[in-house]
Amino acid sequence: MGRRRRRVDPETGAGAWTLPEVIAALSRSLPAGPSPEIFRRAKFDRPEAAPALWRLLFHVLAPLPAYGPSTLPAPEAQARLVKAVLRSQGYPRPVLAQLPEDGSQGSRELLLALSWLLAREPLIERLLVQARVQLGDQVPEFEGEALASCGPPTSHMGAQVPTDLRYVQWLMGKLWFRWRHLISSQQEQCTLLGKIHLYTRGCHSDQDLGHLSVTETEMLRDPEGGQQLLRALGWENARLTAALEWRRWELVFWQWMDTVPGICPPEGPAAASQPPVLPRIPEPGLGELERVVQEMQALHEELQEAATTRRVAWEAQASVGGPGRGPQWSAVRRASQEAVEQELAALRRSWEQGGGPAPPQGHRLVRREGSSARAQGLRAAELTGLLRDQEARLQAALRQLQGQCQQELARLAAALPGLIWILPPGR
Amino acid sequence: MSIVTVQLGQCGNQIGFEVFDTLFSDSHSSQGLCSKKENEAYQASCKERFFREEENGVPIARAVLVDMEPKVINQTLSKAARSGQWKYGEHACFCQKQGSGNNWAYGYSVHGPRNEESIMNLIQKEVEKCDSLSGFFIIMSIAGGTGSGLGAFITQNLQDQYSNSLRMNQIIWPYGTGEVIVQNYNSILTLSHLYRSSDALLVHENDAVHKICAKLMNIKQISFSDINQVLAHQLGSVFQPTYSEEGSFHYRRNPLGDLMENLVPHPEFKMLGIRNIPQMSENSLAYSTFTWAGLLKHLRQMLISNAKMEEGIDWQVRPPISGLPALGKMSLKKELRFNTSIANLVILRGKEVQSADLEGFKDPALYTSWLEPDTAFNVWKTQRAFNRYEKSAALVSNSQFLIRPLDVIVGKAWNMFASKAYIHQYTKFGIKEEDFLDSFTLLEQVVSSYSNI
Repeated sequence: MGRRRRRVDPETGAGAWTLPEVIAALSRSLPAGPSPEIFRRAKFDRPEAAPALWRLLFHVLAPLPAYGPSTLPAPEAQARLVKAVLRSQGYPRPVLAQLPEDGSQGSRELLLALSWLLAREPLIERLLVQARVQLGDQVPEFEGEALASCGPPTSHMGAQVPTDLRYVQWLMGKLWFRWRHLISSQQEQCTLLGKIHLYTRGCHSDQDLGHLSVTETEMLRDPEGGQQLLRALGWENARLTAALEWRRWELVFWQWMDTVPGICPPEGPAAASQPPVLPRIPEPGLGELERVVQEMQALHEELQEAATTRRVAWEAQASVGGPGRGPQWSAVRRASQEAVEQELAALRRSWEQGGGPAPPQGHRLVRREGSSARAQGLRAAELTGLLRDQEARLQAALRQLQGQCQQELARLAAALPGLIWILPPGR
Repeated sequence: MSIVTVQLGQCGNQIGFEVFDTLFSDSHSSQGLCSKKENEAYQASCKERFFREEENGVPIARAVLVDMEPKVINQTLSKAARSGQWKYGEHACFCQKQGSGNNWAYGYSVHGPRNEESIMNLIQKEVEKCDSLSGFFIIMSIAGGTGSGLGAFITQNLQDQYSNSLRMNQIIWPYGTGEVIVQNYNSILTLSHLYRSSDALLVHENDAVHKICAKLMNIKQISFSDINQVLAHQLGSVFQPTYSEEGSFHYRRNPLGDLMENLVPHPEFKMLGIRNIPQMSENSLAYSTFTWAGLLKHLRQMLISNAKMEEGIDWQVRPPISGLPALGKMSLKKELRFNTSIANLVILRGKEVQSADLEGFKDPALYTSWLEPDTAFNVWKTQRAFNRYEKSAALVSNSQFLIRPLDVIVGKAWNMFASKAYIHQYTKFGIKEEDFLDSFTLLEQVVSSYSNI
């Protein structure tokens, strides 16, 4: 690859960027980004480029808040995680799964994987949002919907070691205790946040906010912490600048990437010039989908049958009851039609909403006295309203699942005559 | 994280006082055998858990005192205030003018609902003064009238109102030859209700503690105060601060939560017994030294032979040889000699605690088949000595300790019930025969579950 001469960009008049500069910007905008030289070597599948790319992919794919600098897993574990996440996101090339996890080869494949990730979504922007330096206290994320949409676990129990039920109950109990502890900790956090907000009233230069957040209080208490915060903001700025530069010149990179699949060995599947963006299909999903479709059809038929029988019966009744078709009758009929339409509309709305409007993320917690009406921002009452709706939906889903379990248990009990069920002591 | 204590009835209030007194004087003791910095950390941790500060500086116990008559509460309040070191909150007590005549049903169905709001308000005020609430201690007897009936009612209320907080009931098991003729009825009703609404029942047996006072402490005239001090020592040795993990020097934030998670996550197995070693009078303390090896050997044998104290241990009892059925699975009628554990927690305090060898407690033969010793056995340590004992060890055990006492009480109660003796005292206040039957069923199930581990 020879050096390209800098051409004059007709738009800005400034010099167009060379490939190394563009790749450097890309690297600067990513966590653990390697040097442009690594990218060049990866194109030629040089083994020394592999470890850096494994590391880069790990930092891109792993839920980083979980890993502090001292708790990073070993490189083999990092590689395993990268493979697992790429597989679950539908990465199409099987070569990746076969790469050894010791980081000794596969740099070209890793380069292709990285560009696949970059192409299918605004990856850099998403990572930057995740890693934002927060100055305020944030409203915590609400993950209830994500958990609920997991659905009942597909049973992977094959012929495995029989587990004593008491051990399972033991584990459930431990989980329950941890859950309660989590709630207590959150309540503690709320109490303490409330105190800090109360005690620092009037300290903030921004009148709109009025009081300090925890980060800001720490900054004042501990100047060294303030310096660290400043440094973190500096790094964030650098990454943001790099991201902007990347966005401006990324075409240079893609033109170069186009040449990479061409030099892949012929055994590998021919990749398109731009890797196709694949929708994410979770593995058990296809079977589920078919089952759901079948259930929907069955339900539809049931409803139609029920509707026809009812209609027939009603019509019979109506005609027997005499020609009650006066103006009174049409009024009643109109009213009931409207009621039905309203119900259908409501059903459709709740269906479309799916999980309902997710509580908006990224709000800063601010304590205010009195009920001063502010235009922007979300009031606590609204948020609790949204959360209550979400809670109600989840409760309904829980009741439905419990009903299903009960039916299943009843079916099992019926299959074993003479079996006595003794319920645990409850209230 | 803080613990709020609810002291119920004569029993609960007298014991509660001794507990706070022991905790306080231990945390301010100069004989901690550790550095000043360590001592301060220990003090601070104990203080945050059990006391709160107020303006004039004397720490206030995080407690609510409840009784149906004023006498014991007033005594308790004045004893605390007299010490000058700590006290109870000014408005932390609730009492009425009349007793309840040892009538469980009256305590549960009348006193409880009538005074529910006032009592729960008091508790709420105390909870609000905690930055973070770990849970509740409820100290009560199971056989008396006020403590037991009202205690069952309040524990239920705590479950409803503070469902995410932990509830540990410190229950006083009555003397076998108790004076109250309906004590067995009261006991089974209390136990069955608590089993449903409490997270853990930490049992203190009066008979056992009495023997400790007589044999180990050499006390001639044993008063309730002596008994309660032994009890307080046992509780303190469990709940005073310990390091959060092996090698750490930070104190554990939530011992109550950690204990429960390790010992009572299974809903059928909630009964905990407590043993500690050494236990002796103050005079002997100065002349005795111990090794960890000796202490732990005795403690282990106390566990497997179900001994209540370090004297008179039956050394013949051995763990079953693997491959043969555990002796514990024999029917209840035969002598249950080997005590199988579900889970154990050992707490070590004092000099050279890092060198203590606990391999004996990790023997799989001690435990059930469905829990690995890694999960079933836990140990907490601190090198800060407790209550002037250079080395001390405590054991909280979820094991078959209490099958026999429970079975005895259920048997006696059933015999009385079969002839419907004294039932009218209960039905008069809304406790039906069906409630008795439910209690019997539940407790029989508990006995059966423990027998078949």
